Amino acid sequence: MKRLLKRAAIVVLVLAACGFLAFLYFIPPFFITPPEQFGKDMGEAAPSVADIRDARERAIAERGRYLVVTHGCEGCHATNGSQGPDLTKYLAGGGLKAQTANGTYVSRNLTPDKDTGLARRTDEEVKRVLRSGTFPDGHVVPMTAMPWASFSNWTEEDRYAVVVYLRHLKPVRHQTPEPVPGNALTIPGAFDQDYAAKDYGVGAATVK
Amino acid sequence: MLHVRYRSLAGIAAGAALVGIALASGAHLAAQPADVASQTARGKTVYDAHCVECHGANGKGDGPAAALLTPRPRDFTSGKYKIRSTETGSIPTDDDLIRSVSQGLYGSAMPGWKGILSESDIRDVVAYAKSLSARFGSETPKTVALGPPIETSPEGVVRGQRVYEKLQCAACHGIDGRGTKAIATEFWDDWKQPLHATDLTEPWTFHGGAAPRDVYLRFRTGMAGTPMPSFVDVASDADMWDLANYVVSLGRKPIWSMDGPDVAALLARQDAEAKANPVKRGASLVDTLGCALCHSPYDAQQRMLPGMRLAGGLLLRIAPFGDFPTGNLTSDKETGLGNWTDDEIKRTITRGILKDGTRLLPYPMDWASFSNLTPDDLNAIVAYLRSVPPVSNKVPPPRWASFPVYMWGKFKFLILGDDPPIVFFPGNTGTTGGRR
Repeated sequence: MKRLLKRAAIVVLVLAACGFLAFLYFIPPFFITPPEQFGKDMGEAAPSVADIRDARERAIAERGRYLVVTHGCEGCHATNGSQGPDLTKYLAGGGLKAQTANGTYVSRNLTPDKDTGLARRTDEEVKRVLRSGTFPDGHVVPMTAMPWASFSNWTEEDRYAVVVYLRHLKPVRHQTPEPVPGNALTIPGAFDQDYAAKDYGVGAATVK
Repeated sequence: MLHVRYRSLAGIAAGAALVGIALASGAHLAAQPADVASQTARGKTVYDAHCVECHGANGKGDGPAAALLTPRPRDFTSGKYKIRSTETGSIPTDDDLIRSVSQGLYGSAMPGWKGILSESDIRDVVAYAKSLSARFGSETPKTVALGPPIETSPEGVVRGQRVYEKLQCAACHGIDGRGTKAIATEFWDDWKQPLHATDLTEPWTFHGGAAPRDVYLRFRTGMAGTPMPSFVDVASDADMWDLANYVVSLGRKPIWSMDGPDVAALLARQDAEAKANPVKRGASLVDTLGCALCHSPYDAQQRMLPGMRLAGGLLLRIAPFGDFPTGNLTSDKETGLGNWTDDEIKRTITRGILKDGTRLLPYPMDWASFSNLTPDDLNAIVAYLRSVPPVSNKVPPPRWASFPVYMWGKFKFLILGDDPPIVFFPGNTGTTGGRR
């Protein structure tokens, strides 16, 4: 009996270890999930504009929604839940920490919450970040934290549509940390030229 | 490493500027050299805090954001400025520069700094920008003599339309101001950077402002470094005022001031135009989606390597998965997308599956978001990528992390809560043969 218990315990332990390794190996299940599922989840997470009564507002917000969904704002501005990004708190921020030469940035809350979100900002202030990466206090967010130079290529009217849509989101109270000024040297590995040169011969290639 | 280089370069630029000022023999500089030097030094502090991301550490218009912006940021070392109240070939006045910094340049990434920076900060940063070009030490601005303005009137607008025809404005701006039947609307400026002819029906994009006087000044002075000439030799002052009033009359309402039916009509028109010109629509999508941000190699100061836009080769370390060089998206047959079918390109963009069947991680290449693009927009992106001139750049395959490294990385990620950053490496991992 005792031997049987001991064997069972060993089997359970081995199974648990295998399960743990499998958990490490497969979670998050990027390559098991069908690729269509990722896009579907993201498209469905963005609130519909169908409940906007005013036809003009609805048409503009629909354009904004298309731009927000296809340009992947939620890739960085998601909120982390216990099981990965919490898509019910759409664009409430906090999901990405970017370490750059100029500091550490955490993605902001883009919902129209009056204390922690974009309700604190005017349309022009939001558009200025999307156009110039410039915050109301004058600091310019580095390209490596927020690729605003890409969104700078939106027409002014498209940028307006994005703001109209963001104003329509469900407000989520979520305070995200302010940027912390920093130094590239404190980031291990960042811009590691020696590594790149040694392993990939980077820099040896010439451009004609 | 980036940080250090950045600082030292800026320091060299400032040092050079100060030496330049000390040597300058211009009377106005010689009068108060200490004041100018200290103003320039203060301006450099403002510049370093707010301007380098676009204009670059040494003012050459080559900051990390520069290569993605159209129009490109100003290269201050050239001393050439578009928005001036001075004769063709002349340097701008201080007031011109202060105006551009204060109000920003509409239709570009340059914001208006009034209300963000103090007036003295703006004056200081203008002094610093001037110090980057020797022209300001040796030349004096030649302000144009402004005739009396001609107020707009129905007859004046009709006269202006005739001037528009006479001066062949339609060759670049189209018969309707929107590029219709234009010979060309895409150009290269003096720095070999892309440039669009301005859509004259969208006055909120006029860089120097859309008041009749602003528009008149562009005709009177020309826009240095661009194909837009001065018409001072071929048109009278009255002609240019009439033309300015005509151009102002072409302006339509922006979407934010439109009524419901107009909004619907505008959106429908924009959709129809996107469908009719897929290459243009695709170019705009590739710009706004930021494809070139990762699919182009950069140097240690985050300047895109010249001629390598969309040619891939930027190395990203995505812990714990491995090292991934970005693909060559140009139309090169051997190393780019030249031999990919439309469906293979679209499958990669929307489902993250490469030509050889490899699946991509769901980030940083955001194929999940791109899968929500309409079929027309996907076709437009493919059409544009096919039109990108081939650049030979053979990018090595990704290096997946070894099993123990991967498992240890996953343990740190899942159990210890470690959130490793994506690391970008400067330089090109590819083997380039240059532009074909």
